[in-house]
Amino acid sequence: MRAFVFAARSLVRQPGRTALGIIGIAAVGALLFDMLLLSRGLVVSFRDLLDSVGFDVRVTATDSPLPAGVRMKDATLAAAAVAELPEVAQVIPMRTASGEIVLPGGRTVAAGFTGMDPSTRRPWTIVSGQDLSPLTTPPAIVINEPLSDAIGLPIGSELTLRAGCDPGRAVSTPRTFRLVGVAQFPFDDEAQNTAVVSRDALREACGDDRDEADMLMVASSGGSAAAVAAIKAKRPDLFPITNEQIVARMQTEGFTYFRQISAVLSTITLIFGFLLITVLLTVSVNQRLAEIAALRALGFSRMRAAADVFVQGALLVGIGGVLAVPLGMALSIWLDRILKAMPGIPAAMHFFVFEPRTLVTHAALLLATTLLASAYPMWLVARLPIASTLRNEVVG
Amino acid sequence: MSAPIVDARALGKVFPMGGGPVHALRDITVQVPAGEYLAIRGPSGCGKSTLLHILGCVDTPTSGALLFDGREVGALPDVARSNLRLRSIGFVFQRFFLLPMLTAAENVEVPQAEAGVPKAERRRRTSELLDYVGLSHRADHRPSQLSGGEAQRVAIARALANKPRLLLADEPTGELDRSNGEHIAELLDRVQADGTTVVVVTHDPSLAERAARRLIMRDGQIEREERGR
Repeated sequence: MRAFVFAARSLVRQPGRTALGIIGIAAVGALLFDMLLLSRGLVVSFRDLLDSVGFDVRVTATDSPLPAGVRMKDATLAAAAVAELPEVAQVIPMRTASGEIVLPGGRTVAAGFTGMDPSTRRPWTIVSGQDLSPLTTPPAIVINEPLSDAIGLPIGSELTLRAGCDPGRAVSTPRTFRLVGVAQFPFDDEAQNTAVVSRDALREACGDDRDEADMLMVASSGGSAAAVAAIKAKRPDLFPITNEQIVARMQTEGFTYFRQISAVLSTITLIFGFLLITVLLTVSVNQRLAEIAALRALGFSRMRAAADVFVQGALLVGIGGVLAVPLGMALSIWLDRILKAMPGIPAAMHFFVFEPRTLVTHAALLLATTLLASAYPMWLVARLPIASTLRNEVVG
Repeated sequence: MSAPIVDARALGKVFPMGGGPVHALRDITVQVPAGEYLAIRGPSGCGKSTLLHILGCVDTPTSGALLFDGREVGALPDVARSNLRLRSIGFVFQRFFLLPMLTAAENVEVPQAEAGVPKAERRRRTSELLDYVGLSHRADHRPSQLSGGEAQRVAIARALANKPRLLLADEPTGELDRSNGEHIAELLDRVQADGTTVVVVTHDPSLAERAARRLIMRDGQIEREERGR
């Protein structure tokens, strides 16, 4: 009779304890699964977000991969120089500013503004109305849904924008724009107000004539690495970086907290799992000492008797581990909602992201835990003195 | 007289205890010829179960030598000793020790499966054995659904599963009433009559009297030997 049948029957014999054990392992396994999802979730999600925008290289004036306050001078010239490279398919300079929309009656609504020239490739998705057009008079503006809800004006309305383009500089003179569309912006959080206008229009709204950009958004034609190398060669004063490099940098800088939390909680979870399995198997073995001694007397070898214990553990962890996956997925959705409520987290980003490799890691960690947790009860069984155990049972 | 299946030479067994070593067996020499029915009697603590365990290769002597079928078994590794027990020795325990999660038939199948007997052969042999002990109608019952006497009969069937040359029974009637004890005694008679060597440890004089030879033990030694039924 195979060890699997023995183990299964032994577990069925104690249905209450087995059920509690499986539930415990499922709970521990679900937490472990979530920690594994968390360990790479932000990285995967951030990479997907960057890729979804349609640009695979970003060029800044400093070594910072994201706008850091230092703007690129003569941005149009820089963009033209980069655009001439055969490794580059498209370049769009981007400038950001903060400001407010002044509504009739004097009410104001704060928003972040982006100045980008109209192009075939853009990082936002029009939900209603039209995209930016250079021909519109007054200049066109596209806003996101939260801002649309906040101002309550229909598409086609004129609205007044007061930009604050530099820290410590007075807010500029209000300018009038025509609302042409509503769009979704991938990096927005749930409540963020965002608008986009052309870069020239933003410069006018800022009241300056500086040809500046926070960043050049670049779409490569033959691979991002080649584009970065070409840009570096042509304009050594600029700092191009691929999406992969941004993700790698975030992985070692911005997202390390989550990785550390995930590593600590995973370790604690595995320790709890180890203790739970060890206790379950040890109690089971101690209850069956006489039975095991009798089987040994009937001819079961040490290895065989110990293998029964391992299979019993593997069965418990196998069932609990399988249940842990849907439980962990449900729990991760709930936890993701809680974490995404933090301000500044783009709505499209997720802390817990499923990857097939997570399942493999989860299974491998549970298997390793089963091996370690089974070691002590297996040792108990292997060194069980047959004769004295049988004698003690009869005397007892 | 046929060749001894078990040849124990000057066996000694010492248990190290807190209050000093306990000499459970002292210089025991005994031969069990194939096909014999041997009973070991004596008061509690005289060492009879210890002797049975050593004869059955579940314990090792502190001194002396044990030969099974002419082969020294004292120095065998665990796997070889387990294999010897599995294929050549059957055990019957006072408390049966049937596996409670298995049926009577499955309990009888366990040693056969461990010995690698094919499933169809296992089923056939199990059916024969349950028939042999008069429990064909209880094949699908679990131990908790059997009486003490029935459970012990299943245990005997299990002990005979791999056609052992030696059957060892440690107080096989110790947990049973007189009537059931009598049934078990008759069954052991049949087992011996069918060619299996039987060694029984018992307090029960009526069971011991069925053996052709009786060893009476006291204080870890063989006090005397009796022959004849």
